[in-house]
Amino acid sequence: MSRDNTCLVSTILHLNNSTSAAFQLHNKHSASTIQKMNKNKKTSRRKFLVRGGLGTLGVLAIGTYVFRNPLRRKTLSIAETLIPPYNGSGTKANLWFEITKDNQVMLHSSKVEMGQGTFTGLAQMVADELDVAIEQIQVIGAASATGIVDGLSTGGSLSIASLWVPLREMAATMREMVKGEAAKKMGVAKSDLTTKDGVVSGGGKTMTYAEVAADVTEWDVPGTPDLRPVSSYKFVGKPIPRVDLAAKVFGDPIFGMDAEMPDMLHACVIRPEHIGATFKSADTSKAEGMNGVVKVIETEDWVGVVAKTFSQALAAKRAIKVTWDIPRKWTESDIREMLQVGKGDRMITQKVGDELDPEDADVVSIAFSSPIGAHAQMEPNGAVAHVEDGKATIILSTQVVGITQKQVAKALGIDTDDVNIIPTYLGGGFGRRLNTSHAVMAAKMSKEVGKPVKYFFTRKEEFQNDTFRPPTHHIMRGKLNANGFLDSVEHHYASGDVAINSVLMPGFAHTVLGTDFGAMRGANIMYEKIPNHRSVQWHTTLPFATSWWRSLGLLANTFAIESFIDEMAIKAGKSPVDFRLAMLGTEGNQARIRKVIEVAAEKSGYTDKVKGDKAMGFAASIDTGSPCAQVVEVSIVDNKIKVHKVTCAFDCGIAVNPDQVRAQCEGSIMMGISGVLHEKMTLKDGQLYPTIYGPYEMALMRDAPGEIDIHLIQGAEVPLPVGEPPLGPIGAAIGNAVRRLTGKRVGDLPMRVG
Amino acid sequence: MKKLRLLYIIPVILFATILLATDFNEYAEENNNRTFTRQTAESTEYFDQMMSALTHPRCLNCHPSDNKPKQGIEAHPHYFGVERGKDDHGFTATNCNTCHQEENNDFSGVPGAPHWGLAPASMNWEGLSKTEIATSMMDKSRNGGKTPKEILKHLTEDPLVLWAWNPGIDAAGNPREKPPISKEAYIAAVKGWFEAGAVIPQ
Amino acid sequence: MKISFNINGQPQSVEIEDPNTPLLWVVRDMLDLKGTKFGCGKAACGACTLHVEGEAVRSCSYAVKFAEGKNVVTIEGLGDRENPHPVQQAWIEHVVPQCGYCQPGFIMATAALLAKNPNPTDEDIDNNIVNVCRCATYTRMRKAIHRAADLTPSSKVLNE
Repeated sequence: MSRDNTCLVSTILHLNNSTSAAFQLHNKHSASTIQKMNKNKKTSRRKFLVRGGLGTLGVLAIGTYVFRNPLRRKTLSIAETLIPPYNGSGTKANLWFEITKDNQVMLHSSKVEMGQGTFTGLAQMVADELDVAIEQIQVIGAASATGIVDGLSTGGSLSIASLWVPLREMAATMREMVKGEAAKKMGVAKSDLTTKDGVVSGGGKTMTYAEVAADVTEWDVPGTPDLRPVSSYKFVGKPIPRVDLAAKVFGDPIFGMDAEMPDMLHACVIRPEHIGATFKSADTSKAEGMNGVVKVIETEDWVGVVAKTFSQALAAKRAIKVTWDIPRKWTESDIREMLQVGKGDRMITQKVGDELDPEDADVVSIAFSSPIGAHAQMEPNGAVAHVEDGKATIILSTQVVGITQKQVAKALGIDTDDVNIIPTYLGGGFGRRLNTSHAVMAAKMSKEVGKPVKYFFTRKEEFQNDTFRPPTHHIMRGKLNANGFLDSVEHHYASGDVAINSVLMPGFAHTVLGTDFGAMRGANIMYEKIPNHRSVQWHTTLPFATSWWRSLGLLANTFAIESFIDEMAIKAGKSPVDFRLAMLGTEGNQARIRKVIEVAAEKSGYTDKVKGDKAMGFAASIDTGSPCAQVVEVSIVDNKIKVHKVTCAFDCGIAVNPDQVRAQCEGSIMMGISGVLHEKMTLKDGQLYPTIYGPYEMALMRDAPGEIDIHLIQGAEVPLPVGEPPLGPIGAAIGNAVRRLTGKRVGDLPMRVG
Repeated sequence: MKKLRLLYIIPVILFATILLATDFNEYAEENNNRTFTRQTAESTEYFDQMMSALTHPRCLNCHPSDNKPKQGIEAHPHYFGVERGKDDHGFTATNCNTCHQEENNDFSGVPGAPHWGLAPASMNWEGLSKTEIATSMMDKSRNGGKTPKEILKHLTEDPLVLWAWNPGIDAAGNPREKPPISKEAYIAAVKGWFEAGAVIPQ
Repeated sequence: MKISFNINGQPQSVEIEDPNTPLLWVVRDMLDLKGTKFGCGKAACGACTLHVEGEAVRSCSYAVKFAEGKNVVTIEGLGDRENPHPVQQAWIEHVVPQCGYCQPGFIMATAALLAKNPNPTDEDIDNNIVNVCRCATYTRMRKAIHRAADLTPSSKVLNE
């Protein structure tokens, strides 16, 4: 990833402050100089300010909430389907684009790249409005000192959707600025100029963008141009190869784990093994004299060791005897006892029509459950930190650049502006890096030794200190009407924290919302024509951290609901496809759900009849506005469930990069298969177990379906979330196939037969 | 009484003569046919001691009956679907030596010893009784054509066998369980059993 | 202790205090070849796979002393942008990586497989490629492995 760091110009577009943009000459200037220069600039507040003001999900939600349940429910239903606009830091002048001397455009992305393909999609959007070739764009994650970092997170499958309009508008604005300057330099009317591949042409002359920008100190800023029609785009909508493809195939050092700083030391931190254990004291005497050990650092609640090499730090860590206060040895049954429908904080998250009478003999009731899930992302968490003279620089893989910056500043007692968080490519996110508070530990250790320190988790520490997907318990109840369709359906679900108590949620959110909207993902009934339907959450905070895991509650909630729908279709003697279609409306998202169901059924040749040793299973869901239906073909060999083929129909609106949308579908389906057939964390001797791949069973190559057949449908005129919604149907689809094969309904994840 | 004692002594002398006159090995081979030696309390004790080690997961895990190596004290199938392969050393490219080297690795907790691999399929012991294991072990058609002397050597000198008493630490850093008797006691028992005629209690 | 070996075709000596140090850390921290990844440190995930004498080895569980006098190849030495290895070429054609962290390990494991078995069946792939990919890019990897088998060194495309 070599690049010419000497930039001719940088474009500073004040997304939240202004439509005005300023090109600043910063040949050989450091990025921090640029930032200071821009801070002093006066900015006009027009279009982008309005968008910025509407801002985050939080702002909108908090502004609207009132303290009565029915209204809260309404708000929650809005929150569930809302695409929040871009969540930039809003108040700072920051850098979006730079044009380098060799006529490359560097995009400082406010969103990080963790495999979801966002960098590629953003490059496509920029290329089409800025009129440069895709190869001319380099995308880097914005550092907090030099670029716009997302004040909230990269997550929720929202990166492309939230930047869809503002990023293209900025690129278009920049294109017009270049043209305006070119008109002056070339002596050709702006209206006679055209732009292509980073070159301005007109009146028989050409200039590269770099040539246009050279030596310009004052720029004329036009009003925000109209965006071009999507149909005219050369890159958006095309399966452009990932911009990070070569770096990832040739082993470039692009991850947080690969980061180094000059004169860097290595550190280990001892983390508790037992749930709820707190640090009491440590005997560090042996470690202190060991080879390579620079310093053993004991704080109020943890102890770390800094050494010259990682191996030395690890050896010294093993020589430290820590005494922990272990108030209680939690067991699996303790957790299951706590986490049940009927226990914890109750909140009706959806309420249409009447409640079922549980005494009614015609009511069918089935229980479901899902286990604790680990993120198990391949790159361990870690950070390289350097703290010196009241300033901190931290390089790490994180989904929360802005939040990590604030946490480090607070822990060190310095200004936020004095903390520069430099995000790298992430070796997997999946929600695990929505909490990267370990950056604080690295920073504190660096401060202690006065040198850069690299600190990362061992794999055991990853497994025991994860912010797990919470276990869940569900009771589905329903009743058919005289025509054999659902008259009532109820989803009662118990979950640990997802959004609540996470770093993304303000402390008062729980009180205001009364529910965990993360656990609620996928929990509401999507079939509007069922006359009576409701969803009731029972929330409990567990004694270990549970939080965001790719698609949040969607995997488990859809497993429960769509398994139950299938069971009721069987009871009614109806095709599960017809049964579902009859319960859907014909407008808006109802029509879009209908469409994916029809396409999946048709393309897969769905039948509810067992053929030979195989059966098909059907399920659908809608998550953050993106409906998905999946059909699986399953057999059971030696009491093991084998998925042979998955057909997936998915509507995410505009697919900015259809190949990468497919990749996200494939990944979601496969991660879902892994989740519902293999994965399970348990409690053993008061600890979370297992602590390594293998014992933590996951889908491997041999578990991958022979074919994943994806059909993309564009049912909206904007790009909608992609990275998580396809995780919805897979669990229920497999369970429904198993039901056809064995006659038995599997209620507990991971699924076991025989 | 005297006569009886004499009678008893004759085979012992015979035994000693043969032992001196012939290769121990050939003797033991004949002995394996159990034509003229008998089970004694002593040999049974040696046998039981030896078997307490050979039936321990440290030994049995690499003598599977289903082509799947076992791991851990509870002898679960080797993770990641590892199997015997064509040469008892795993699959073509992903084989034992992809992860296991000539020594235990304390950084990873991956065990290692020279020629790490499975015993050939003919030597499947998993699920067998002590007597069945010993019978298999002494049976040239199943033991890789080994003479009793070679078996004795394998049992008492092969570094892969003796690894059982130096099993290292597991992935969590905890020491692996060793067989119930010490290495020295095991070697003494094996030698004692062979010297006592390698009699397999029936 | 001095240990000498060839890495990516170049002779290399390292001075190391503990000869049991995993080769992974020597490669990453001393030789600054960061393509070989640390994933679990327990030889369970395969992210650290490299080649020793042409064999796939999980370097987090391989004491550097065992590399003495041997040929070691890492992802950096397998191929480059100008001259990609057929496996890398196939990976590019099928746009396999997502987050990319596990990919060097998979590519090295696949290259070792193809060196021994130029036309692996699906079953051969299932048995030999047992690394872990959390983005779960398995279906594309399988296609890419078959494609790599079809690509002979002479058909390598010169640029990506």
